[in-house]
Amino acid sequence: MIPRRTRRSAVAVVCGALLIAACGSDTDTADSGDTPGSDTAPDAENTADTGDAAPSSGDQIDVWIAFTDARLDWTEQVAADFNEQSDGPDVVVQGYEDYESLFDATLLAFDQGNPPAVVQYFEAATTEARDAVGANGNPLFTSVESAIDGRDEINGVPVVLDDIVTAAANYYTIDGTFTSMPWNTSSSTMFLNRSLLDAAGVESTPETWDDLRSMCEAYMASDAATDSCITWPNHSWFLEQSVAQQGALLANNDNGRSGRASEVMLDSDAMVDYVSFWKGMQDDGLYTYTGIQRDWGGTYDLFAAQKVPFLVYSSSDTTLLTDEGVNGGFEVESSLMPRNGDATSGGGNIIGGATLWLVDGLGEGDQDTALAFMNFLNNPENAADWHRTTGYIPITNASIDLLESQGWFDENPNSAVANAQLAAAEESPATSGALLGNFVAIRDVLTEGVEDILVNNLDPRERLGEAQVDAQRLLNEYNELFG
Amino acid sequence: MNVPLAVISVTLVAAVAAALLTHAAATFGRSRLLGAFAGVLLGLAGPLTVMVPLGFCTFDDETTTLDRWFGLALIAGAGFVAILLGRTALDPDAAKRRQQRGDDVAHGVFRGSRLAPWLLLAPTLVVLVVFLYWPALRTLRLSTQLARLGAPRRADRCVSNFTELVGPGMPWLVVVAISTAITVWTATWFARRRMAGRPIGPARQRVETAIRFGSTIGVGAVLLAIAGLWTADYRAVFVVTMIISIGTVAGGLVIALGIACLAYQPIRGAGLYRTLLVWPYAISPPIAGLLFFVMFDANSGIIEHWVDSIFGLALPDYRTNARLAQLVVVLASIWKTLGYNLLFYIAGLQTVPKDQMEAAMLDGAGSLQRFRYVVLPALSPITFFLVVTNLTYAFFETYGTIDYLTAGGPAGQTSVAMFEVIQTAIPGRDLGRGAAQSLVLFGGVVALTIWQFRSTGRRVSYGN
Repeated sequence: MIPRRTRRSAVAVVCGALLIAACGSDTDTADSGDTPGSDTAPDAENTADTGDAAPSSGDQIDVWIAFTDARLDWTEQVAADFNEQSDGPDVVVQGYEDYESLFDATLLAFDQGNPPAVVQYFEAATTEARDAVGANGNPLFTSVESAIDGRDEINGVPVVLDDIVTAAANYYTIDGTFTSMPWNTSSSTMFLNRSLLDAAGVESTPETWDDLRSMCEAYMASDAATDSCITWPNHSWFLEQSVAQQGALLANNDNGRSGRASEVMLDSDAMVDYVSFWKGMQDDGLYTYTGIQRDWGGTYDLFAAQKVPFLVYSSSDTTLLTDEGVNGGFEVESSLMPRNGDATSGGGNIIGGATLWLVDGLGEGDQDTALAFMNFLNNPENAADWHRTTGYIPITNASIDLLESQGWFDENPNSAVANAQLAAAEESPATSGALLGNFVAIRDVLTEGVEDILVNNLDPRERLGEAQVDAQRLLNEYNELFG
Repeated sequence: MNVPLAVISVTLVAAVAAALLTHAAATFGRSRLLGAFAGVLLGLAGPLTVMVPLGFCTFDDETTTLDRWFGLALIAGAGFVAILLGRTALDPDAAKRRQQRGDDVAHGVFRGSRLAPWLLLAPTLVVLVVFLYWPALRTLRLSTQLARLGAPRRADRCVSNFTELVGPGMPWLVVVAISTAITVWTATWFARRRMAGRPIGPARQRVETAIRFGSTIGVGAVLLAIAGLWTADYRAVFVVTMIISIGTVAGGLVIALGIACLAYQPIRGAGLYRTLLVWPYAISPPIAGLLFFVMFDANSGIIEHWVDSIFGLALPDYRTNARLAQLVVVLASIWKTLGYNLLFYIAGLQTVPKDQMEAAMLDGAGSLQRFRYVVLPALSPITFFLVVTNLTYAFFETYGTIDYLTAGGPAGQTSVAMFEVIQTAIPGRDLGRGAAQSLVLFGGVVALTIWQFRSTGRRVSYGN
């Protein structure tokens, strides 16, 4: 979940540029403030230079990830630790702005015969990554599980693949095996500004849409009322979460898990109900739409500036959001994402995030080093540290045990919410998450439709029906090329 | 494959070309046989250049009626261009007239080796071929395919990427607008012919004004007709592009001229003042977007903060209001181009002939009249140049501003054609449709350029 940092660093760069322009000096103004993104960018360029130098000579392998902020620094540190204990080729980590440019760069490097060993790619593009081929028609990635081939340890690094927490394992196990190594994994959770709610005299924590609505109405009627009550990004992920919570599917063939999905269902009752609830909240002045699709930054800022007491967001930023409260003098609580109280059982939340993909056609030594690094990255200590640093869930059971033994969750109850929410989900195709072609583009069709509904006051069922037509066309086209 | 239709249409074009060029050859005093021969050749070459790469796919059995019409329009269009080229080639005076108009620049002549100029041009040509012509050809190819970014597999789509943009949503608009345009243009054509012999005087001036007025209406009608051709989705893009481009160009030039007149006054520190005014030009379009976002954001913007703390009012949110969003994008673009426009207008004001100004003053012209009848005409070459550069800016460069300000929203109401192209092809990863849309945009710009050079160019006074 990059955009907020991107925008912040962009703002910093503007200020920096203005200042530099204004005084004509070369002082390093862009590095001021809380902008990890701006000062890590040069690092990424440096690693890019060294990465081009000798990638296939056997003394280093490239790992490309879609982070350019503190998470890149963290990964580079882990890579340094890994290189220290390994005799094989060195792992060099390189950061990219976003998943798409990372993937395009990978494809280009693959076609030029000079690919990285490991690349990070996000959950919604799992089908695309599995189907990806180079210009010569060869598959781009190879299955991580079959490359591990049942070994318990690789180059002395214990394999953690069979210890991955259930929700992530269910999402990423396709046809019975892991094709990629789970890494940054989150769920959508809600954050409450308890101080604001207390000031308004509103108690308890909402579990259902109705709870949330009545709390919001009480809050807005109180003297402590702010601009509005809740916000969340218009990102398809939240719609997918809600559909899964209601036990409904997003695509046929068991969400594309018992066979390639050939029909998408954007106009299901579950989807219409959620969007209607959403629009109802907006119509009553309880929900603020920031006016931009996938606006992670604007929604985050509204919560951080105490303009709304509720925020539905990604658990990946639990640590950051909790710190906003500590720094801003208000109490931040995390809770489950509100669900449809009328929905029958059978649902639960799904994961989001990304996995590490192993590029096909590496030499045996390079491949083993790549696999060893993936497992090293997720060893209990590193997985626990990753969770503490960011808020992504601890990805293995061993790392959860480690954190528990350290008393982490007792001290940081907010950090336990995402795991608890995912563990509570019933195991079903709905909660495993949908796999379908052109999913990324279909997501945009969905958020476009929602924006149209929110801004132009349209009927949710009708507009989602139009989105369904566009999405189905995208899926058909994908299956025409890859089916 | 509907072979008879294909053969008939191409033959028809060749026959028409032959007839027209035979007539043209006779008028220009050349051999009729030569004209007929050139006509057949060009009449076949034009349509075939277009249809052979497509494999005559618009005549396949499974294509829609719209695809067929599109194919026929392509054939007719290619034939039209071929006939125009042939007519110019046959006309012995065409080259001379071009030189007189100044379109054809022929200053220097290379002596000696014929190879030398090509060698000297080679670096430029290599760059052009690699970075312009080759990508353009690839775009043409992509526009006929189902192609996704990051997926090397392709499927042929014939012309459906284009015909998908066309929909019969508003047939009445198209019919009314086209007939208006034809009527107006026929009228101005007759007026021009009748005017040719008239002496210069007030009557002739009135007719000239009427003709200008008429051709403006004609252009507006054509734009309306084009707007009526699209599907509802793409019509929205077209309308938004028109609103934002015209707003940016018209607003930008008026404001720039106003400020230029003020900044041109001889005041103390004018040099510094003018330098500061040029500043926004040095800022890139995305930064302009970011700055306006920081100012006008309804949730955490600076202006929101002021309005709230001084007047206790809430600033309306431009990102959920279509008109406001367009206005903010236009404002940001105007501000961004202001420095550039000022630079030219201030320079232009210095070239306004002093003697004319003095003469006008002696004749008792007020300052407004001097501005209207002396300054404005003297600035017309600069205005023409700025209209061209500003329109280019509005079409191609506003992407960054829009991306940061509104991201095309609310609900596509600031998604100009260029933004839509990038949105379709890069985040949407739909290369085929993106390529088709970019060609539509390209066609629009070509048409606009032709229109600008034909109409505005004629009115520009270069002072000779």
